[in-house]
Amino acid sequence: MRHVSKVVPALLALIAGAGLASCGDGGSSGGYGGEGADVVSGQFERVAGAPSGYAAVTGEATVERADGRTTVSLDLRGLAPDGDYVAHLHSGGCGEADPGGPHFKFDPEGSGEPSNEIHLAFSANGQGAGTASASSNREVPGGAAGSVVVHEAEGGDEAGGHGGSGHSSAGYGAGGETVLVHSGHQHEDEPGPPAKIACAQLEGGAGGGGAPGDNPESASMGGQVPTVVVRDGEPVGGIEELEYDAGEQIRFEVSSDVADEVHVHGYDLSEDVTAGGTVSFDFPAEIEGIFEIELEARGTQIAELRVNP
Amino acid sequence: MSMLPFAHALAARQDLPVPAWLFAWGASIVLIVSFFALAAGWRKPRFEDAHWRPLGAGLSRLLLGRPVQALCGAIGVFLLGVAVYAGLRGTEAPDRNFALTFLFVTAWLGFPVFSALLGDVFRPFNPWRAVGRLAGAGFRAIAGQRPAHLAYPRALGRWPAAIGLLAVVWLEVVYGSSGGVAVGLDPETAATAALFYSAYTLAMMALFGVEEWCERGEIFSVYFGMFGQLGWFGAEDGRLGRRRPLSAATRWATLPGSAAVVIASIATTSFDGASEGAFKGAIESCFDWFVDRGIGLTASLRLTDTIFMALCFAGVALVYMLGVRGMRTVRGAPSLQTLRAGFAHTLIPIALAYLVAHYFSLFVFQEQAQFTYLLSDPLGTASTDLFGTASGGIDFTILSANAIWYVQVGALLAGHVLALTLAHDRALVYWPNYRDASRSQYWMLAVMVAFTCFGLYLLSVSNG
Repeated sequence: MRHVSKVVPALLALIAGAGLASCGDGGSSGGYGGEGADVVSGQFERVAGAPSGYAAVTGEATVERADGRTTVSLDLRGLAPDGDYVAHLHSGGCGEADPGGPHFKFDPEGSGEPSNEIHLAFSANGQGAGTASASSNREVPGGAAGSVVVHEAEGGDEAGGHGGSGHSSAGYGAGGETVLVHSGHQHEDEPGPPAKIACAQLEGGAGGGGAPGDNPESASMGGQVPTVVVRDGEPVGGIEELEYDAGEQIRFEVSSDVADEVHVHGYDLSEDVTAGGTVSFDFPAEIEGIFEIELEARGTQIAELRVNP
Repeated sequence: MSMLPFAHALAARQDLPVPAWLFAWGASIVLIVSFFALAAGWRKPRFEDAHWRPLGAGLSRLLLGRPVQALCGAIGVFLLGVAVYAGLRGTEAPDRNFALTFLFVTAWLGFPVFSALLGDVFRPFNPWRAVGRLAGAGFRAIAGQRPAHLAYPRALGRWPAAIGLLAVVWLEVVYGSSGGVAVGLDPETAATAALFYSAYTLAMMALFGVEEWCERGEIFSVYFGMFGQLGWFGAEDGRLGRRRPLSAATRWATLPGSAAVVIASIATTSFDGASEGAFKGAIESCFDWFVDRGIGLTASLRLTDTIFMALCFAGVALVYMLGVRGMRTVRGAPSLQTLRAGFAHTLIPIALAYLVAHYFSLFVFQEQAQFTYLLSDPLGTASTDLFGTASGGIDFTILSANAIWYVQVGALLAGHVLALTLAHDRALVYWPNYRDASRSQYWMLAVMVAFTCFGLYLLSVSNG
């Protein structure tokens, strides 16, 4: 009996320990799924020149290929409450001058409409969150899609323009691995690019056909230089987190409507920004940790820099 | 919307959360080590006797003699004076002013660590004790008799120090907020607080006697002295000696309120760690609730933080009391009161581990500032360059995130083992029957596992 009373707790400890240890492997990232399904995903990042009010936009786009079908889905937050949006699968990467590049087309010479492309139209809920998914009965060639881009739908004609695809689903074409969200969608044949809101670089995608000068290490950031927008001395959409791995190049911009000094703590870098001006930062991620980025004179934190080992 | 950026205005950098795999490994090792400790415990108390052995008489005389003690006291008074002066006259920027880094990093974090290794090193440097003793000596010289003191109320014990400890941390992390944003304490407030505390302490020393007050009421003597009980060296009967590490702690918690001191230490460190991580959401909700009721931003934030700090104290106390109550159910257990005081010292290693885990990187980085620009330019006004190091800075690359994580988790594990060691040892004193002693330790083991795993959890929660 005496031994039992010691063995039992020891076993419990081992079991509990093993259980805890197995939890540690949980953090898998958007890689390739099993079961013959091929899943790529990417995080939405606000694009430069996005309309105001979208500083806090975040979310994820997923492209799943299986059995000759392709499903593109997205999950976004930080949109305007009850706003209408459209997203397209693009063949290019988020780092291109026009984020996402051209729409992905199954048939490069074919039409700019579904089912030759993959379009998603959806509305945000009252909290500014929206989800959508669209499927095609064709399979997007591996690596042919680079990103998903989201923009605002124009005046509600969007739904009609794309065959009444309300929120989720509808058989559309699927293509490149970029999902872009933009505002004021316009058709391919219309002049002027739509004001894009956010772009999700799809991991394992084409990355925009290898846009020259695109830093591969910043691909996880969508190849896009994030911009911290300051209005009235406060960061639009709250304190944004800029996350990098040690050794990467940290690039971001701060555009402010007030004059101040932007100070990156820890790295101790400062740039003066004029009212209405924009300053750029570009430095290697040498110090691991979490750092405050603030408007020095106001003492207001505008972003958080996070450098992982 | 509320914004709660870094509570420490000093820190230009925050630690990354401990990754999940390290958390899992840490927690697993805690459990395995704990049960191994239960199975392999020794049967005779090993730490109740300090095994104190005197060091050479010459060394003892030198270190404990009047000249060295007076010199140490003078250094203490001088440094406190510099800190107060810098706080009052120096820059408002917390990180460029000598006062905050010296008071809240160098002294507040340095003394616990060095005391835990060496013994009570704060005692000779205690500026108030030095002034008090000088005043006492002056009184004796003039009046020709020892100053008469009031009898210190026995029941009060170390409660003044326990409450004072909460107050110090409250001042450091709660009071320093403005417009709903935790900006940290400003140097001038810190200096003013130090002056008020000095006046209060000297008055109490005059009332109750210098040594009496240092033993019971003087926050820093009690707090640093608590960690000093773990250390290698100690003085007995005016002689310096070496003792078995940890052993002096077994006699520390004999005064009422001692348990409250160590609980306050664990609770305040927990609060500071959790306020930017684990409790952040709850704190923001509570803050918004107060704001919605028309309370000002600053008052709302202070109120919220005060509540959460009190909750931390209550929570830590509750876990300890549950362990004590549990032990009471074991056959042959002494009274609840005896148990409550009798195991308080076993939490000292946990308190130390929490401190190291939460402030190790802050200490390493901020001490670089202390010994470069803060030393040469204590006012932070670029008006002096006393040692030619005013242009120095902090090299944040000397510690990688991985190194910090291993120190943090290692500290918690080490504290856990030392706490279990002390608890097991004390149980052998109360329960002559080894089996009963072991059984009582299931309860303390649960307490220690709770504290250590909570500590790991706090480290692993994202500060985002």
